[in-house]
Amino acid sequence: MDQRNNATWVVYLTFVVAFLLAVVPFPEWAMNYRPQWVAMVLIYWAMALPYRVGIGFAWVAGLLVDILDGSLLGLNAVALAIIAYITLSLHQRLRMFSSLQQSAVVLAMTGLYLMMTHWMKIAADQAVTSDLLFLLGALSSAFLWPWVFVLLRQMRRGFSVR
Amino acid sequence: MSLEYRIAAFVVLSAAVMFADNRFDYLDRVRYTLGFLTAPIFWVADTPARVSYWIDDVFVSHGDLIDENQSLREELLFARRELQLLAGLASENQRLRALQEASASVEGSILSAEIINISNDAGSRRVLINRGGQHGVVAGQALLDAHGLMGQVVEVLPFTSWVMLITDSRHGTPVQVNRNGERAIARGSRGEIPELELEYVPDTSDILAGDLLVSSGLGQRFPKDYPVAVVTSVVHDPGQAFAIIKARPLAQMDRTRHVMLLELPANEAEVAPVDGSVPAWVEVTQGEKPAEPGPAAASTDAEVQVDVAVPQALPADTTAAEPAASPETAPEDMPLPSELADIVPEPSAGQD
Repeated sequence: MDQRNNATWVVYLTFVVAFLLAVVPFPEWAMNYRPQWVAMVLIYWAMALPYRVGIGFAWVAGLLVDILDGSLLGLNAVALAIIAYITLSLHQRLRMFSSLQQSAVVLAMTGLYLMMTHWMKIAADQAVTSDLLFLLGALSSAFLWPWVFVLLRQMRRGFSVR
Repeated sequence: MSLEYRIAAFVVLSAAVMFADNRFDYLDRVRYTLGFLTAPIFWVADTPARVSYWIDDVFVSHGDLIDENQSLREELLFARRELQLLAGLASENQRLRALQEASASVEGSILSAEIINISNDAGSRRVLINRGGQHGVVAGQALLDAHGLMGQVVEVLPFTSWVMLITDSRHGTPVQVNRNGERAIARGSRGEIPELELEYVPDTSDILAGDLLVSSGLGQRFPKDYPVAVVTSVVHDPGQAFAIIKARPLAQMDRTRHVMLLELPANEAEVAPVDGSVPAWVEVTQGEKPAEPGPAAASTDAEVQVDVAVPQALPADTTAAEPAASPETAPEDMPLPSELADIVPEPSAGQD
């Protein structure tokens, strides 16, 4: 009964799928267009279930991203925690937005996420990139957002995740 | 309100974790343990590639198999022939090393591995291999493919490891020109093209386009004499203090899947020479910075050894080879050439 009421495994499953998509190898030319799947899934769940997916959840998910990336431990964790914080403080408004407006917010948030991780990597001597082409990943994320949103909403309703 | 406090707490916590991970290695254990959680994700992510390789292997026509078998046989034959030549060279090398009292270079065993992922970070060039701590991989091991040196293990997870390629801009490989032994550090380029740049090479140095660069073994990370790269361009810019030298790595970084992990050199334990013998990584023949007790002990011992060894080798048919080979191997060492010059005419005169 309890499990039927809040099917949180759906949330975990979507995160696992996001991790998978995040590590699937991309060809060299498409590297900068890589959508930020984990950030997108996090934004959706923080918006839809703010009492279940919060800052702590985002932080742990980010820690796993750090391991997957082989980057500094805590780097993606803090960036995703900040994304979760912004989403949580905006979630009432985000739910009212049209999908185009939501895409614009996702563009800003994934852009901020990429920028934050980039700054931290530079501060920790983890990366040397002179250009900002990696921000194209925010563009592809915003482009894919409407589909991700509809898919996750279908899953949330179908499994009545609460 | 509580939201602000929580995010502040997590930001502080993350900063502490990042600092600890960057400066100290307390968190290596945590990383390794979390690696157990992420291993299945890599395994699943690699499934398409594995399935496509499996399909390539299974759904292949009989004729193709016969052709492939034929070409592999021929390749093996050529490789065997070269191995035979190599055996002769190796024994000759060993005799010459014995003459100089240098300990033989150790050939470590290898562990085959497969590249299962690449870093999605545009700023670094790293690959993930399917061998990890549970297979005995340790950080610092060198990775090779069939053509040359690829990189070194930088992070070990339970079933996978991250390997930094030699083309990463934060990686420097100690190399030497195979033709004349000129040494340099090959650093990964910062540009888009995965290539190597030779750093701080004086304009007067004798490096030409087409030269083969092999690992010099200095730094004790990589084994000596593995092919690394071919010099593609040498530019002498009068406005620059050093020559601008670019090289193309020989390893097929973005095409190969099957790679080899080399054991760490076993002679690390005997870095301090106990019985006056010089470890393999100290280049006695052209050493500019050998260990302090090394050169004196080696040269004096070598003088003694030469006196003893040449009469022993005299009856064998190697005497003809040795006068020709020894000046090549010890051209810059101070005491040896004169000593050899004194000794070498004797056996040839004796044989005449």
